[in-house]
Amino acid sequence: MNTPVSNAIPSGQPSVARETGWLYGWITTVDHKRIGILYLLAALFFFCVAGTLALIMRLQLAVPNNTLVSPLAYNQMFTMHGTTMIFLVAMPMLIGFANYLVPLMIGARDMAFPRLNSMSIWMLIFGGILLYFSYVAGDPPATGWFNYAPLNQPAFSSGPGVDYWIAAILILGASSVATGVNIIATVLSLRAPGMTMRKLPLFVWMMFITAFLIIFALPPLNAASVMLLMDRQLSTYFFGPMRGGSATLWQHFFWTFGHPEVYILALPAFGMISEVLPVFSRKPIFGYEFVASSGVLIALLSFGVWAHHMFAVGLGHAAETFFGASSMLIAIPTGVKIFNWIATMWGGSLRFTTSMLFAIAFLINFTIGGLSGVTFAAVPTDWQTTDSYYLVAHLHYVLIGGSLFGTFAGLYYWFPKMSGRMLSERLGKWHFWLTVISFNVAFFVQHILGLIGMPRRVYTYPDLPYMGTMNMISTVGAVLMGVSVLVLLWNIGWSLRNGRRAGDNPWKGWTLEWATTSPPAEHNFERVPPVRSRRPLWDLAHPESPDPPISGVVRQDSPYLERNFTGMWSFILSEATLFIMLISAFIYYGVYRRGGPNPAGSLNRSTTELFTVFLLASSFTFWRAEKNLHRGNPKGFSAWLSLTILLGLVFIVGQGHEYLDLWRHGVSINTSLFASSFFTLTGLHGLHVCVGLIGLLILLWLGLAGDFKTGRIEAVRTLGLYWHFVDVVWIFVFTTIYLIGPRL
Amino acid sequence: MTTRQFLLSGWNWNPAVVAACVLAIIGCLVIIPSLTRQRAWPLALGLMLFMVAMISPVGTLASGYLFSAHMLQHLLLLLVVPALLLAGLPAQAAKNSKCDKLTNEYKLPVMETTSAWVAGVGAMWFWHIPAFCNAAAASGGIQGLQTISLLVMGAIFWWPVIGPREAQRLTPLSGVAYLSSACMACTLLGIFITFSPVEVCSIYHHPVDRLGILPLIRQGWGLTPVVDQQVGGLLMWVPACLIYLIGIIGQLVRWYGNSQAEGVPTLTTAKAGNTASS
Repeated sequence: MNTPVSNAIPSGQPSVARETGWLYGWITTVDHKRIGILYLLAALFFFCVAGTLALIMRLQLAVPNNTLVSPLAYNQMFTMHGTTMIFLVAMPMLIGFANYLVPLMIGARDMAFPRLNSMSIWMLIFGGILLYFSYVAGDPPATGWFNYAPLNQPAFSSGPGVDYWIAAILILGASSVATGVNIIATVLSLRAPGMTMRKLPLFVWMMFITAFLIIFALPPLNAASVMLLMDRQLSTYFFGPMRGGSATLWQHFFWTFGHPEVYILALPAFGMISEVLPVFSRKPIFGYEFVASSGVLIALLSFGVWAHHMFAVGLGHAAETFFGASSMLIAIPTGVKIFNWIATMWGGSLRFTTSMLFAIAFLINFTIGGLSGVTFAAVPTDWQTTDSYYLVAHLHYVLIGGSLFGTFAGLYYWFPKMSGRMLSERLGKWHFWLTVISFNVAFFVQHILGLIGMPRRVYTYPDLPYMGTMNMISTVGAVLMGVSVLVLLWNIGWSLRNGRRAGDNPWKGWTLEWATTSPPAEHNFERVPPVRSRRPLWDLAHPESPDPPISGVVRQDSPYLERNFTGMWSFILSEATLFIMLISAFIYYGVYRRGGPNPAGSLNRSTTELFTVFLLASSFTFWRAEKNLHRGNPKGFSAWLSLTILLGLVFIVGQGHEYLDLWRHGVSINTSLFASSFFTLTGLHGLHVCVGLIGLLILLWLGLAGDFKTGRIEAVRTLGLYWHFVDVVWIFVFTTIYLIGPRL
Repeated sequence: MTTRQFLLSGWNWNPAVVAACVLAIIGCLVIIPSLTRQRAWPLALGLMLFMVAMISPVGTLASGYLFSAHMLQHLLLLLVVPALLLAGLPAQAAKNSKCDKLTNEYKLPVMETTSAWVAGVGAMWFWHIPAFCNAAAASGGIQGLQTISLLVMGAIFWWPVIGPREAQRLTPLSGVAYLSSACMACTLLGIFITFSPVEVCSIYHHPVDRLGILPLIRQGWGLTPVVDQQVGGLLMWVPACLIYLIGIIGQLVRWYGNSQAEGVPTLTTAKAGNTASS
């Protein structure tokens, strides 16, 4: 029997070559722990900014007919508040924890792609800066966080605000997808020996599922953003109904992203709770299998129910009935989780640390948010309550009561590991009670406000019975929440200097991250403890009564895949989703809108068929090149690779020729919806071919320089996957545009 | 005609279909006594659902009247019946097979798996290309061909997941990926059909009213051609995915269930732990 080679310590780790001062060290870092902390700091910063915006909005709403801020400024504030809280606070804080903890929990040394990781964090930071630069440019977006059409069209939002929003969203989207790819590759390829998928800590499981949600859910938003950008910059009208576009399509695309996004924000919090509750109940998690599996089911269901955000659009009774029913189904796996957590605490010896208190508050408040969520799945109720403060209350119970409380539980739990010092429990208790009470004061009344008819996104309201009182209560709660954040900041600042030393394992935790020092050394572990069960540190501390070992067919159950291969495949899946969205858009516009140039009249199929052959041939030549490399024939490799590049170039030239031809016949990108979607789809594919060509040129250069003589040819295989993918996509694009298109 | 009258009279006694059913029942009666209860149930249920799809009023509506009934039939024949029949197949056949040896070295059979996936998803897409969909609804011969192809393709699709040879099945996590990607593919088709203003199967938009039930369908049940197509698309989108989801739950149960496969070498973690610390 052979022992698998340790993947935990990847070879050739990039390290900070010459660290000249702490600032340089932090900026150039590729260490997952530092990047994780950067994520958390960025999230904390933007949390304070967006929280301030929320406070100003609450002050404006404190009394009826208030004039503290103008209507426009109010619109800008709720847009920035929502966008920031989702993309720059909630996602980074969860991704930050994932970055810090996933490699530690699986006994790896770093993420699979440390440099990609560094790219992600800096894209996030600059994306955030870009979004807020709209304030400097004098026109922040004022279209709401979901930026509905046609308000997002140039006719209604003529300033640059929406453009900044799009740019920021695209950058943040790319950053998130990169992180998703990174997490998937890390979990699938860098687990310590013995850490099979069935022993993964639940936080890692939830992040693994979340990573899949990210790579599939972000592309629809990116596709929609690209199309909107064209609407605004190149005068197309994908989403402008005034000229024949479809505002509903924006909603479909947005919520295809938006609903899974809810679970991107919730699942990691579920994972944290599943780590915190067992440790402070001194019991293993109840029903590990159920918690992990229900995560998978939630993820899958979340892609099928986005239309419940659109009940008020008028999808027709049939669609609404189906989506109402399927949306209610999601409550089942979520309920399973809640019962597992309660059962974990049942009969345990509970330690009410701040972390545990937040975990319990999570259970209660998230359940309230979940239950009001079920009421939205009932279509008639939804019609009454959608876009009212009832919805505002619901989403804040899910995002604050759920994601944020879960993260606070995680923060108090893992802060000692990250800093080496304990957070003050006394201040922590103050923080906890202030947060929970003020949160419920601020948001519970909003349920009632919504039910008595206060719409969301209004900058003021008339002095109707109870409205003033309840809004005042809500504002008082919000101000207290602001104070609670100050307590948290004070606690962090104070504890970093004066906190009690934590030691390796202050909470007597059982997962691998507690086996190393606090904070961990740059290489994480001197020695990864053996992993026989789901609680390796319990086994280590109690050799007389270890957990029952979890075994099985290791290779079958838990593949250790090659990380470049895994990373490229996850990226390809994400890209495939992007193309599916654009192909769907092409079909949609082809079916719905006629008039103007159409595929049958303007496209010349036979020339394109010729260039298609060239592109497909390039896949064959690349395959030959790879074979030559395997045989140790670098000359043959270079020759076949050059031929591949040449064939790719011919295809690009052919496409350029086709574009020119269309332009000569008066078909440009904004001539008709067919032309817009044609140029978008083929243009994006052409862009992918160009990127592939650049990659191939680099390969050729490396090959000529003799880089592959050492036998390390993962780069060739990985880029080959990408190149074949680009060719396969073209088959689908070609079929859609040239074969199906003229018949629509 | 009222709904009640239709449910009583609207059975499809097509000789070919009835003959197939009778043969299948006889076959089952021969096999069932030799089966354990665990296998007999799915087999009987599969057979019953096959008859629901073909002979019951669903079958009648599917032949020319309602697209949604056609879709229901399609889903039963492609996804439900073959799965149940496979689950009922006797597993002894696997015993004397060479592939039965569980080895630690597991290699994903990429080609076979891909072909099976393409068969299952392809059958779904192929029979909804307007020309083929119409042809199947119009001609009895092609409809027979469609029925057989759906059953066969469905069986091929489910083979890697619940085929009788344990050793040839996908590992549970690959199974989850296999089923969820199939779910995505059918969701996509469902979305297209639901929101398409184009008639996917024009024959259902202008049915020939052989039985005089069209007024019942249109006025009594309120199923206009547009709503009918929407419901058809939604059936493919939501309930079809739930079928895959049940398959996925099955995979997860299998995964967590077999914590100790007999005679299988497991990883000695102590040794592994030492190598990790290098």
